[in-house]
Amino acid sequence: MTELYPFTPSGPTRRSTLRAAGGGALLLGLGLAGCRSAVSNTSSSPQGASAAPHRGGVLNVAVNADFTPALLFAQSGQSLQQRLIYNTLTRYDDDLRPKPELATSWTYAKDGRSITLRLRDDVTFHNGREFTADDVVFAVKNLQNPVRAAQLRSTAATITGFEKRGDHELVLKLAHPVNNLFDLFEFMIITDPESVEDAVAGKKFIGTGPFKLKKWSPGSGLSLTRNDAYWQPGRPYLDGVELRVIAQADALISSLRSGQSQLSFDVPGKSIGVVKSESGLTISDYDTGAGAIYLGVNTTVAPLNDRTVRQALARAVDRDRLVAQTLGGYGLASAAPWPKSSPAFTEAHRTHYTHDPAKARALLKSAGHSRLDLPMLHIALPGETAIAESIQYDLKQIGVHVTLQPTDGATAQKKLISQGMPALWSMGHGFAQVQPSTLAVSAYPFNEAKNTSRYRSAEYTEVVQEAWTKPETDTAAANALHEKISSILLDEAFLIDLVVRGQLQVSAARLHGVTLNKFSYLNLDNAYLV
Amino acid sequence: MRTYLIRRLPSALLVLLAASFLIFTILRLVPGDPATTLAGPDADAATVAAIRGRLGLDAPLLTQYAHWIGSLLTGDLGPSYAIGGQTADLIGDGLGATTELTVAALVFVIVLGTAFGVLGATSRSRWLTAAVRVITTAALAVPPFVSGVLLVLLFAVALPVLPPGGRVAFLTAPDLAVQYLVLPALCLALPSAAVLGRYLKDGIERGLAEDYIRTATAAGIAPRRLLWRHTLPNALPPVVTLLGMQVGNLLGGAVLVEAIFAWPGLGQLAEQGLQRRDYPVVQDLLLLLVAVFVLVQLLTDLVHAWLDPRIRWE
Repeated sequence: MTELYPFTPSGPTRRSTLRAAGGGALLLGLGLAGCRSAVSNTSSSPQGASAAPHRGGVLNVAVNADFTPALLFAQSGQSLQQRLIYNTLTRYDDDLRPKPELATSWTYAKDGRSITLRLRDDVTFHNGREFTADDVVFAVKNLQNPVRAAQLRSTAATITGFEKRGDHELVLKLAHPVNNLFDLFEFMIITDPESVEDAVAGKKFIGTGPFKLKKWSPGSGLSLTRNDAYWQPGRPYLDGVELRVIAQADALISSLRSGQSQLSFDVPGKSIGVVKSESGLTISDYDTGAGAIYLGVNTTVAPLNDRTVRQALARAVDRDRLVAQTLGGYGLASAAPWPKSSPAFTEAHRTHYTHDPAKARALLKSAGHSRLDLPMLHIALPGETAIAESIQYDLKQIGVHVTLQPTDGATAQKKLISQGMPALWSMGHGFAQVQPSTLAVSAYPFNEAKNTSRYRSAEYTEVVQEAWTKPETDTAAANALHEKISSILLDEAFLIDLVVRGQLQVSAARLHGVTLNKFSYLNLDNAYLV
Repeated sequence: MRTYLIRRLPSALLVLLAASFLIFTILRLVPGDPATTLAGPDADAATVAAIRGRLGLDAPLLTQYAHWIGSLLTGDLGPSYAIGGQTADLIGDGLGATTELTVAALVFVIVLGTAFGVLGATSRSRWLTAAVRVITTAALAVPPFVSGVLLVLLFAVALPVLPPGGRVAFLTAPDLAVQYLVLPALCLALPSAAVLGRYLKDGIERGLAEDYIRTATAAGIAPRRLLWRHTLPNALPPVVTLLGMQVGNLLGGAVLVEAIFAWPGLGQLAEQGLQRRDYPVVQDLLLLLVAVFVLVQLLTDLVHAWLDPRIRWE
C-alpha cells in the first residue's frame, strides 16, 4: 500500500476518526430504532376516554408569544396563564353580571363609596398558606403601584381605605363612586404577597389557581401541573397544561393540524380557511369584543385637525371587506368600539359610518381637499400589514394617498405612549368589552386626559368622568352617558373604529369546557379531553 | 501550530472588542427601548421614566457600555430587562438548543453532502447523476421557509410520523429528542449539503484524474479502494474549510428554521430580545455569535492543518 504522507501520527488518524464518526452515527441510529414515538407522545389523553367529563390528560396550548413576567399585572399580548395560576375576586357572565370567585358575595353602600366583600374561607395558595383579606388588600395596593403598569390602575387608585372584619370579610372604601369596580375584580389576579417580586422577575408564581407552575422556560413556554388542593372540589380535570410558544403562524397551524397542540387563540384570520377544513378542529368565536381594530388620527396634523376630514376617512373604509378578507370572516364591522355584549352597544352606532366613498369624497371636497398624501404607521406583522394595506386601498379611492410605515412593535408602542404617531396609524385596542367607562379611563388611545390622537375636549372629559363616577345602580343615567360618549367618539372621529373582534378559539374536537374571561384569561376549571 | 494559534489570538480579541462597540452602538440607534415595552401599552411618561431609571438607561452611553463590558469580564451577565430570568440562563438554554440543532444539521450536511459528492462524481448511471444534480439544485434553490413548510406538511401533517415543531432536550429523552430534531436539522442542512456535495464532486473528479490514480489503477488497485482511501482523503482539506464556513451559514440559517419549527434556540431568543429591546440579551447574544464565528474560523484552520501536513509544516 502507498502511504500518501510519510509520517506516523501519534493520535487518532484521519481514517480512524472518520470511521469512528460513521460508526457512532450508525450505532445511534440503530439504538434509536424502535423507540417511543414523539408524535403519539405529544397528544396525551385520559385513559378510557368517553364524552363525559373526567380526570386526566395534558392540554397543549399553542401561543404565538411567551408572556412577560414584568407585565404580570397588566394586560399584555398573552394573558392566558393568568387564570390558570391565579384566581380573581369575581368573574362576569355573558351579560356582564359579576359572579363569585374568591369573593362569595358583596354589598355596595348606598352612596357608592364603599363595598363590602365576603371572601372564601377554604382557599389556600400553592405554597399551602391560607388566603385571607390581607391578600386582597395587597392585590389592590400592588395595582396602585405605577411600576406594575396595570391598565386599571386609575380604578384601583380610587380605593383609599381598607377595613378588615375578620380574615374573610373586607370593606373597600372609595375616594369617589366608580362604576367599573367589578372590571377591576375580574382583572386583578390574587398573588401571594411574599413572592410577588419573584413573580415579576419570572422566578416563582404562587397563586390559588387550578394549576401550579412546574417550569417556565423563557421563549419556550410554561409547563403547569394540576393543583390537587384546588378549592373547587374535583377540579381541574386536566393533569396539566403546556403553553408552548410557536411564533410562526404556519408552524402553529401545523401543530394544531397534527394534533400536537389542542388549543390556540392565535390563528391569524387569513389562515382560518385552512383550519376550517380540518375535521378534528373546531372554531369558536368568543363574542367578548376583547379587541378592536381602529384607524388612529393625529388631530394636530393638518388637515386632520378638521373634523370633516376625519369623518370622510371614517366613511371611506369598507369594514365588511376588512372582516371578510383579512379576518377570515370573524369580527363585527362597526364604527363604534362596543361589542354586542356591551351596555353601550347600539346598532345605530355600529352602522354610523358605512362604506360610502362618494359621500367621503364630498366631505373631503367640502373641507377644501381633493387629494391628500398622508403617512400611516402599522405594526410590521403579516396580519397587521394586511389590515393596513386594506385601509390604504380604501382611502386611495377617495383621493387620500397613504404611505405605509411598517414599524416593529416596540417602536410603535413607544410612539403610542409618547404621542409620537404620524398622521395616521392602524392598531388594535381593548377594554370596550367591560364597563364602557373603563375604555375612556384605562385604554390609552381613548383616554380623556391624554391620548395618542392629541385630542382634548372639555365636553369629552366631563362626560367620561361622569360616566366613570356614576354609581352603577342608576342604569338609565348610565345609558344616557354611554350614549353621549359614543356620540362624541363618532362625531369627533379621533379614533375611527373599524372592526370589533372577539377571541377566536381553535381547538381539537376532543377538548371541551374551555372558557375565557373578559380579559382573555384562560379558564380550564371545567375543561377535559376525551 | 501553537505559535500559529498564539499569533492569531490578539486579532481575534480585537475583532471581539470592535464587535462589542458596534453591537452596543447600533442597538442604541434602533428606535424604541425596553422601558416602553415594560411600561405596557397604557403607561404614562412618569412610569416610563421610572423604569428607565431603574434599568440604568438614563446613564450616559459610555457609562452604560463600560458597565456592560465590566460585567462581561466578571462573568455576570445580569438579568434580562424584558423577557425575564437571568441573561446567562436564557443564553445557556438557547445555546444548548441551537448547538443541538446545528450539530444535527452538520451531521446531515456531512452525510448528505458526501453522498451527493461521491454519487455525483462516480456513478455510471446517467439517471442517478441527473437525479443528484436535480436534488442538489433544488436543495440550493428552495429557501428554508419553503422547504420547512413542505417537510412539515409531508412528515407531520400528511403522514404523520414526525412532530411538526417543539423540542425535547437531548439529555432528557434522546429517543424523542432525535425525532424532534430530524425535520429542523434536515431543513437547515439541505442547502449546505448541496454546496458541500458539489464541491466534493469537483474535488473527487479532479483527484480521479491525477497521475498517481492512473498509476494505481494500472497497478490493479480496486476502484472502491482508490476512491475511499486515496482520492477522498485528498479532496477533504478544502472541503473542511468549506464546512467551517457552512457552520456559520447553519448558525445564521437557524434563526429562520427555529421560527418555522418552534425550536427554542438562540435565533428565537435573538428575535424576542430584539422585539422587546432587551439590550442585555441581544448584546450578549450577538457578541457570543461573533465569538463563535471567530472560534469556528480558528478551529477550521487548525483542522485544515491537521488534514494537510503541508500547512502544519509551514
